[in-house]
Amino acid sequence: METTATTHLPSDYLPILIQFAAALGFVIFAIVVTHLIGPKRHSKVKDAAWECGVESVGNARTPVSYKYFMTAILFVIFDVEVIFLYPWAVNFRGLGMEGFIQMIVFMTMLMLGFYYVIKKGILKWE
Amino acid sequence: MRLSDLYFLMPLLILVGAATLNMLVVAVKRNHKVIFGITIVAHLVAVFTLLQLNGSSYQIPPFFVMDGWGIFNLGLILLTSLFVTLLSYAYFEQREERKEEYYLLLILATLGACVLVISQHFMALFLGLEILSVALYSLIAYLRTRERSDEAGIKYLILAALSSAFLLFGMALVYAVTGTMSFPEIGVYLQSVSELPLLLLTGFGLMIVGIGFKLGIVPFHMWAPDVYEGAPAPVTAFIATVSKGGMMGLLIRFFSQADAYRYANLMLIFTIIAIASMLAGNLLALRQKNIKRLLAYSSIAHLGYILVAFLAGNRLGVEAVSFYLVAYFITSLGAFGVVALLSDTERDADQLEDYRGLFWRRPATAAVFTAMLLSLAGIPLTAGFVGKFYILASGVNTQQWLLVLMLVLNSVIGLYYYIKVIAAMFAQTKSVQERRKVLHPALSFASGGAMAILGLLLIWIGVYPTSLVQLIRGLLATFMTTF
Repeated sequence: METTATTHLPSDYLPILIQFAAALGFVIFAIVVTHLIGPKRHSKVKDAAWECGVESVGNARTPVSYKYFMTAILFVIFDVEVIFLYPWAVNFRGLGMEGFIQMIVFMTMLMLGFYYVIKKGILKWE
Repeated sequence: MRLSDLYFLMPLLILVGAATLNMLVVAVKRNHKVIFGITIVAHLVAVFTLLQLNGSSYQIPPFFVMDGWGIFNLGLILLTSLFVTLLSYAYFEQREERKEEYYLLLILATLGACVLVISQHFMALFLGLEILSVALYSLIAYLRTRERSDEAGIKYLILAALSSAFLLFGMALVYAVTGTMSFPEIGVYLQSVSELPLLLLTGFGLMIVGIGFKLGIVPFHMWAPDVYEGAPAPVTAFIATVSKGGMMGLLIRFFSQADAYRYANLMLIFTIIAIASMLAGNLLALRQKNIKRLLAYSSIAHLGYILVAFLAGNRLGVEAVSFYLVAYFITSLGAFGVVALLSDTERDADQLEDYRGLFWRRPATAAVFTAMLLSLAGIPLTAGFVGKFYILASGVNTQQWLLVLMLVLNSVIGLYYYIKVIAAMFAQTKSVQERRKVLHPALSFASGGAMAILGLLLIWIGVYPTSLVQLIRGLLATFMTTF
């Protein structure tokens, strides 16, 4: 069946499927084969959990400071904000005054939110 | 973006402004009264700007449309949210936790529902749904020291996220087939094909999962009792009304703009869902001892009733849905309002035992609750009766005898557990329960006033429904001109 640039048949996507199968197959193949033919040497030091070179202590299920999580969330918010800024900066001339106003509104909202979290003491670390 | 767009979107912009203002005020100085005042004023102003809009259809391409149906739903949502706010003050004043952010989240949830009911594009739909859902996650778990609030919040979070995924996948499939995400253009595409393509049917099916979850209809109803029980009583009222009503408004807009009523298999799905919801909701409520869970099951059944009118798929059906939504909103607000009024600092008054002999202790509250329960059961002289009658009329009008039969049968089953609660309220108790400490009268004035207004509205609509019917007819004139 003839296909043009605008009409795609499901069969046109077959190569992608094959690619997926090949990728998955290679991973499974590599894991299974290294597991089977690789040499196994055990020692006490080697079997210990590796924690960035520091000697491991205790259980992993200890409470983590809550501030850490809040800072991480803040990071995500402002990270996403910057992602919006880049395309706007690139198309600054094209978007013109309307784009500028929209960006000002967006930034104002974010800054107000930032003021709120600062006042709430989110960056107090003692 | 035109300036007149801003004029038509003013109710939503006011909500955005109020949420931001509340946030700033909380940052500067926490004061429950001030935040409460701002929230009330914002709702009133939003309703006022809504009244300025005439009922003509105004397009804000590509996302929104402001027509009679949208304005009706916006008004309903804003007023409901106003009543929830009024009921919240006394409820949260008794609790020590930070109360101010509650109003912020409530406004945002209302905003989400407002976006939902005027959207005519999948993107706007999803944005509105997410604003509503994310605000609800935190609202449900707001009283975090309560025993069941975390459970309810987490359950809602996981299930809502899962159902959103279904909804998104359904939208993607619809987009893959039709190449558009706007409702009217999907309608144009559907007109060009003689039969519903399989992929499109799958897409609609997946979307029904997402929509069905928000509506809390069988088989997507499992979350309702747990979430209703765990959430603070005013939030429960909000979920039962605004969240479900917003989704219903969207469903009707989508089906009428895309003209999906003519596909028998889609209608069959909804017929089965409607019958299952009515049966499961009423049967599961029969042996319930917890009032909040009982009302949860009852709301499952009521959404089933609304679906009967929705399935009629004509003008009368939409009128019936509108009328029933108004009646159901008033009734739910009243019922959960009573639960909120009777709750103390430790827990919500959700056991049947809390209501035993209530009439002899607090006659006014018991009278309002009795009226609300009778309306839920559909007894004459209440709004619920006229609403149910309207639904029956729309069902008979389109000869859906099975649905009509199930509706009548279920009304009888439902009567049992509503009467059971009423009987408990009028029972004579030997042991005199100690009166709970009553707040300062001025504090509970907002709640009491709201309850009185709700009770009067209920009776007024039940006795004289003509004015509401005419209002609905007038607003719907610009919507669904195809019928």
